[in-house]
Amino acid sequence: MTLSRTIAQKSLTAILILFSVCMSVAANAQDGKALFSANCASCHAVHKKLTGPALTGVEDRWPNKDNLHAWIRNSAAFLKTGDAYANALYNEYNKTAMNAFPNLKNEEIDAILAYIKTVPAPGAATGGAGAAAPVESDNTLLYGILTLVLAVVALILMKVNANLKKLSDEVTGEPVLRPIPFYRNKTYFALIAVLLFLVGGYLTTKGAMGFGRSKNYQPEQPIYYSHKVHAGVNQINCQYCHMGVAQGKQATIPSVNVCMNCHMAINEYKGEPIKNEAGETVDGTAEIKKLYKYAGFEEGKPWDASKATPIEWVRIHNLPDHVYFNHSQHVKAGQVACQTCHGEIQKMGEVKQFADLSMGWCVNCHRETKVQFKDNGFYSIYEKYHEDLKSGKIDSAKGITVEKIGGTECQKCHY
Amino acid sequence: MKNTSIIACLTAVVALVACSDVKRTPGSIYMPDMAYSRAYESYSDNSNLAEKGINYNNRPVEGTISREEEMPFHIAKDLPGDSINYVASKLVKNPYDTLSATDKDEAERLYLINCGICHGANLKGNGPLYKDGNGPYPAKPASLVGDAKYEAMPAGQMFYSVTYGKNLMGSYASQLSRKQRWKVIAYVKAKQQEGNKAAPVAATATPATAPAK
Repeated sequence: MTLSRTIAQKSLTAILILFSVCMSVAANAQDGKALFSANCASCHAVHKKLTGPALTGVEDRWPNKDNLHAWIRNSAAFLKTGDAYANALYNEYNKTAMNAFPNLKNEEIDAILAYIKTVPAPGAATGGAGAAAPVESDNTLLYGILTLVLAVVALILMKVNANLKKLSDEVTGEPVLRPIPFYRNKTYFALIAVLLFLVGGYLTTKGAMGFGRSKNYQPEQPIYYSHKVHAGVNQINCQYCHMGVAQGKQATIPSVNVCMNCHMAINEYKGEPIKNEAGETVDGTAEIKKLYKYAGFEEGKPWDASKATPIEWVRIHNLPDHVYFNHSQHVKAGQVACQTCHGEIQKMGEVKQFADLSMGWCVNCHRETKVQFKDNGFYSIYEKYHEDLKSGKIDSAKGITVEKIGGTECQKCHY
Repeated sequence: MKNTSIIACLTAVVALVACSDVKRTPGSIYMPDMAYSRAYESYSDNSNLAEKGINYNNRPVEGTISREEEMPFHIAKDLPGDSINYVASKLVKNPYDTLSATDKDEAERLYLINCGICHGANLKGNGPLYKDGNGPYPAKPASLVGDAKYEAMPAGQMFYSVTYGKNLMGSYASQLSRKQRWKVIAYVKAKQQEGNKAAPVAATATPATAPAK
């Protein structure tokens, strides 16, 4: 009886101890993640060098755990002890001082270290990326063959009809006319002439109107920069890079330092595979490396912005010199969205010209677009229109179009 | 006769195959009257102006201040491994300590465009580029509201970081004018104060995850 009791007691304590150990480890890992995110993550990643070194295997690198604790709590004080490893590290990272964390307890630091061990290396545990996209069926060929077959059938039927007529003429004894060959048949001539006139006229007009217009122009750029990835997936505002669009005539092409604001840290592409116009997969990471070449940036070293050279992007949208166009007038005063003129830019891999930028296109928009009169100090000068809108003389649903405030006058854009 | 027809067929096939949907060249132009600028346009190559004997400098004269712009920030960037100027910047006062309603709207707009992408629309350091570590940005951006370190950071030191960059954050001097930078910092400071006042309430409510515009 006593024996069984002691066994029961022992096993119970063993279970309790085991349980508490498990619990504490679980709690440690949990706390470790939170502590890492709150204290370390702005300068350190587990598998990547950022402002500070990658933390995987940090315990193996430090000769002594107490030193590591002392370093984390107050790195500046620890440096003064003359520790060789710490000083080498400090110099390797360009003498960037690590923040002091005097409030972290030993257990908390150990929890962080325990969490660091649990983070798997990137690429180790990633499943197959998405199933293949459904194959789009193209019916053009099918329709073509069908048209051809029908045409052949029609031809055969016509021939049959002609032969039957000939036979019946022979039977009734009417004089048989020799058929005129098609190259001497005047009906054929007339038909072909009309067809040529229509097709030729259409092509000539279209070609002539297309002079000087570059709709759908989509040049290859020095770097495969995807607006879809930046403005679409990652929701970067257009004006983050094109900051001048609301301030002046030009939308401004960002200089390399604007790219480097993010790409100092983002040195690899990990998103959905990018496909170019030919359907080939674009290596995003290689494109980022191209940027580093322009920037004169070597990974792991501090970036000297004065070494950067400009990227010579190919200009797409270009108006003739005899037209004046100002971005800020449209974006700031007119509150027009970028997409109105540039298309769904947040879905474009390579940018292409969306509008033909013809005068008819400009004028059409000026005729139809309502000016935002309400709460827009820019148009407070049009007192009469404001009064008429108030008194109902002008239908407020229709509003004031750009044309009404002189938006289709010649000298508005040509001067 | 037969040969010519074969050649014609082949050329037609080649021409059809060569046609791609992608237009890599701009359209041609006929009689470009006043289409090309005689003057140097923005972003045109102006490297050969000196050869032509034209004196051109694309930078403003040193020491000039553009209209309605703030006075220059007199603290220089620290040398590597140094933090004297970073510490000294604590004493600089924000000339736009209190924002008017319109200024606040403008500062908010600028914050959401330039800062919110990393620091989050709610200033909690979780913008669409970080997304709790699922975004492309590998480091956790500073949580401007709710982190004692940044709540206590003086406006001058924030201005130093925004102007010259700090750690992984780059310089925003080319994107925001000095005036705009001060106003954005005043906006951040105002949000921190609001956050402190509303802290007991916000603790119970679910954190709003406003989508970035």
